[in-house]
Amino acid sequence: MPTRLTIIGSGPGGYVAAIRAAQRGARVTVVEEAEVGGTCLNWGCIPTKTLIASTDALELARSVADYGVELSGDISYNLQKIRDRRDKVVGTQIKGIRALFKSWGVDLVPGRGSLISEEVVRSVRKDGTTQDIRSDRIIIATGSRPADIPGLPFDGNSILSSNDAVLMQEVPPSILIIGAGVIGCEFAFLYRSLGSSVTVVEMLPRALSAEDEDISALIEKELKKAKIKLITGARIESMKRTTDGVTALLSNGQEVRTAKVLVSIGRALNTEGLRLGDAGLAAGKRGEVPVNDRMETVVPGIYAIGDVTGIMMLAHVASRQGIVAAENALGGDVRMDYAAVPAGIFTRPEIGSVGLREHQAREKGIKITTGTFPYRALGKAHAMGEIAGVVKIIADAGTDKVLGVHICGAHASDIVHEGALAITMGATAKQLGAMIHAHPTLAEGIMEAAEAVHRNAIHLPREGK
Amino acid sequence: MNPDDIKYHREHAWIRVEGKNATIGITDFAQQQLGDIVYVDIPEAETEVDADSELCEIESTKATSPVISPVSGSVLEVNEDLEDSPEIINEDPYGNGWLVVIAMSDPAEVNDLMNRDEYEKFLKEEEER
Repeated sequence: MPTRLTIIGSGPGGYVAAIRAAQRGARVTVVEEAEVGGTCLNWGCIPTKTLIASTDALELARSVADYGVELSGDISYNLQKIRDRRDKVVGTQIKGIRALFKSWGVDLVPGRGSLISEEVVRSVRKDGTTQDIRSDRIIIATGSRPADIPGLPFDGNSILSSNDAVLMQEVPPSILIIGAGVIGCEFAFLYRSLGSSVTVVEMLPRALSAEDEDISALIEKELKKAKIKLITGARIESMKRTTDGVTALLSNGQEVRTAKVLVSIGRALNTEGLRLGDAGLAAGKRGEVPVNDRMETVVPGIYAIGDVTGIMMLAHVASRQGIVAAENALGGDVRMDYAAVPAGIFTRPEIGSVGLREHQAREKGIKITTGTFPYRALGKAHAMGEIAGVVKIIADAGTDKVLGVHICGAHASDIVHEGALAITMGATAKQLGAMIHAHPTLAEGIMEAAEAVHRNAIHLPREGK
Repeated sequence: MNPDDIKYHREHAWIRVEGKNATIGITDFAQQQLGDIVYVDIPEAETEVDADSELCEIESTKATSPVISPVSGSVLEVNEDLEDSPEIINEDPYGNGWLVVIAMSDPAEVNDLMNRDEYEKFLKEEEER
């Protein structure tokens, strides 16, 4: 008899785990209360990148004259058509997952999943009807949701969550974005392109504080160039709704009045209502389900993956965790390794980063050497008209092994994967710099930055000159 | 042609003194070295600046370079036209391409700066080095 595996949640963790488990011969049931694809497909990665593709087209249209192209008439956009395109793209991806489920024989059960015992998952539908699913193995993949500021709940009207912002019901004349993390910065450029006046307030001393400092510095300059106001080192002291919007008082004494507020301060984990205790589990301090590197919880046969584990909030990490959990649930022995996790941030220009940041090296006492190379020294960047950017490579000072690759510039999220491979394979900066890179490409920046680790970059002037 | 009614700093900034205030810009040599200027990270009014330290940053298609202030003081006025048209610096470095007006805190610092002939001699020496 095949192993009965039940997965709660069908985001990029859950649906990938479902397919892998089916490939390994399990009888798979997925419980999903909303649409397949989770936050990533319905509220995050895909719809935001679709909206950003529209604003990229808009920005290109605004700058065609720089390329010798002549357009007549005003450049404008149709918000309804931008939303329709987003919905079409998301719809296609949803159909794709459903088709894969069908092809692999995965059962999709609508309803909100909870644990009744170590081997029973209950699905509760909106109409109250329930279905109990007997399971040999269970994977918890319930994800996360936008976190609000205590006392300032989202209202979908003047105080928006990232989910509200993705809906893009309107383009406000002005917006205050609280939190200069990934979501805050992406939406800052998005709203700015659509014509909003944007102010971003960040509690920490720099934007994108999880990134390398050089990347933060570059994006802060690009925010400034885009006329987005960034206020760092300030908290929201109080906020009140007015007839035409919201007035926020900051801890530095400044007052910011805007039509709307987007709160992007982080995400809360979805463990409430999951009845973890009924299966012998307990949530951690942040509401996370603790797991080991095999994605096992403390209860044998129950696994957790994705945001709900509180490890790394990235769709592709959830997918890998899903594969690891599925393999292990079906007799395999696979472990998670987080040494080389690339990530993209879709600001303008975009960011791709993987591995160690310079501040992390300092905190951990790792001796490093770094090499940086500007996009403006690449022929391809000039040809494309995309000269803002930098590639930074961090190598171990002793072994020369590549420990981190950080890129801010056009197509950074695509070209960063060479860095992920270098880290995974234990390549040295010398090897990376000696590898022939095609000309003219943006990837040459990685070769040059690797050479710059040893002060050998061909297209940089001698230091001090 | 470098004007002779202004003073020059060895980091290729110029200043035109009017009483206690000084207008600051970059020299023709500096703009030629930079190439097409695409962005000036112009400081805000009231920013305090020290002589021989960074006043602002200029980005060109070739490089990002700091502008070194020839004198100490506080920024009184900034050239807001540069925000949308930074290329004015390439076109008219000693005129419309000025950067800021500074209220000098130590006007005597001006005495340390070069006049036109000294600056041109300095450029020649730099070139030959």
